[in-house]
Amino acid sequence: MIASLSGFSLLPSYTVIGLTLGGVYALAATGLVLIYRVSGVLNFAHGAVAMFSTFVAYQISVVAGVPSIIGLAAAVATGAALGFAIEFLTIRPLTGRPPLTKVAVTIAWLLVLQTAAGLIWGSTGYHRPVQLVGSNGFTVPLTNVVVGYDQLTIFLVAVGLSLGTSALLRWTSLGVQMRAVADDPQAARLWGIDVDRVSAASWMIGSGMAAVAGVLITPLLNFDTYSLTVLVIDAFTAALIGRLTNLPLTVVGAILLGLVQYYPKAFFSQAGLSELSTFALAIITLAVVFRPGLATSRGRA
Amino acid sequence: MSGAARSRVGLAVVVAAVALLPALESDFQRGLDSDAVIIALLVLSVVVLTGFVGQISFCQYSFAAIGAFTVGALMDGHGWSFWLALPVGVAAAVLTGVLVGIPALRLSGLLLAVLTIAVALFTDRFLLVTGTWDGFSGGAVPWHPERPSLLGAPLTGSYAYYLFVLAILCAAILVVWNLRTGKTGRVLRAVRDSELAAATVGLDVTAWKLAAFGLSAGLAGLAGALLAVRIGSVSPGSYDFLHSVQLTALATVMGVSTIASAPAAAIGTVFGPELLSGISVSSTWFPLLIGGTLIVQLVLVPEGAVVRTRNDIARLSRLLSARRGRDPAVAGASR
Repeated sequence: MIASLSGFSLLPSYTVIGLTLGGVYALAATGLVLIYRVSGVLNFAHGAVAMFSTFVAYQISVVAGVPSIIGLAAAVATGAALGFAIEFLTIRPLTGRPPLTKVAVTIAWLLVLQTAAGLIWGSTGYHRPVQLVGSNGFTVPLTNVVVGYDQLTIFLVAVGLSLGTSALLRWTSLGVQMRAVADDPQAARLWGIDVDRVSAASWMIGSGMAAVAGVLITPLLNFDTYSLTVLVIDAFTAALIGRLTNLPLTVVGAILLGLVQYYPKAFFSQAGLSELSTFALAIITLAVVFRPGLATSRGRA
Repeated sequence: MSGAARSRVGLAVVVAAVALLPALESDFQRGLDSDAVIIALLVLSVVVLTGFVGQISFCQYSFAAIGAFTVGALMDGHGWSFWLALPVGVAAAVLTGVLVGIPALRLSGLLLAVLTIAVALFTDRFLLVTGTWDGFSGGAVPWHPERPSLLGAPLTGSYAYYLFVLAILCAAILVVWNLRTGKTGRVLRAVRDSELAAATVGLDVTAWKLAAFGLSAGLAGLAGALLAVRIGSVSPGSYDFLHSVQLTALATVMGVSTIASAPAAAIGTVFGPELLSGISVSSTWFPLLIGGTLIVQLVLVPEGAVVRTRNDIARLSRLLSARRGRDPAVAGASR
């Protein structure tokens, strides 16, 4: 690893990439937190759901050449359907079982989706990304930093959807029901809330968001089945910064993660720096944010 | 013959059969058998961690990689003997396991599970990448550790190596079995069932968890080292995150609470892909089979295949002895 000071000149444009990446992480993490808060399950298959849905978009838009927006819609539909299937077929029957069992079921889904995608689309090799917006852009006034319209779109859509979810939870009837279920499912049931329906809704919305995140991130990384499945650790790291509960803080954490992953690349050419940064940030977060007994004190996890 | 003696004879017969049958097979098949035995060792490492203290790990193959790459680097890079490199590799894996377990001092199990994903990705996408530490990962040219000799007998033949790994598996099972049935086993189960209650009766919960992490990582490291020598080459792709996920799923299908799932998993990995190719399906479908089985099973048979089968057999034999007009409780006591 050889440091080069000329990296400083790269920082402004790396900020743009870092913010874009962070926006996508925010979206994925928001879906993860939504599912965890409402149904109490830490979804280890979140990245796999994103991956599988994204490959549906790939099949439709890149392979078959249908406009990207239709591919995106199909991906969201796939994500929501997968979320519903996971909740309805495997989480709901496990009500009252230990958290370990529910986690194991999400691991099983990860394995199934990963293997299935590998069999259908090939586990390695180059896949052309799903490009929603053209990659030409504009120069930020008074600087020489170029921002791509695709980067701007990704950031605005991702952060917009994440903050939109916060608004949904705060101001809509479904959101109030979700928060009620999150706080105390039994009391919510007594108040006449259909807990199963609310839980299924959280899985569908959360997984749909994972699908959008997956499609948006394809131009930003080496797009294959593995790299999208492990998106789950980036989502987890951001969610941990938000203590698995606080959505706005999760968005901030996600953007921080995107920047932390990208800045070292301006100075070092070593492969795997993003993983090193994620690892370090996850450890620091766990050490600083979590005290014994916190966060999983809900008991349903 | 008493029940205990009978089951001991039965076990001896099974072990002898497992040791002798591959003598009839081809070299290729024996290689797969050795792989299966090594996978049994890895499943055993999951049983120690998940079954004994209730901790899920996504980085068992990272521990295996520590063992494999240490042995590879010491043997191929520094010309060490296998018998010196192996204990160093296992020790390195134990140390890594304890380091990963240290956050257990303050984190709940699920958050620790999240951390193990970060560890797995750190290992296979940073530590083992060419350019990070080529003295450990081998860089562009993978390590080629050679098979050793044992007491003058070379282990280069596929049957000799199979017997060698089988003996190690049996020894490892014995060690874990003794831990399980002794005082340690009771302590670990207390920790798994309720950390709070275990702490209340004066058990040092975190120390026991760390010990379980160390033992589990040591077993995985041992398996990794044996796999490296069995293949004769060490490359990062064989130790990635998805392998760990598949291993955890496989162990859970068999049932993480029992040691018997280790040999059961070995049999599954030998015959599963063969079963698939029997119905002309590629063996790349095998993980799908495991995952699918796991989903169905967790919903229908959450205790695991081995435990369920054992309970079913027990119920059946009770039923049969009751039908013969004997009170099962009395029949059991008269043995």
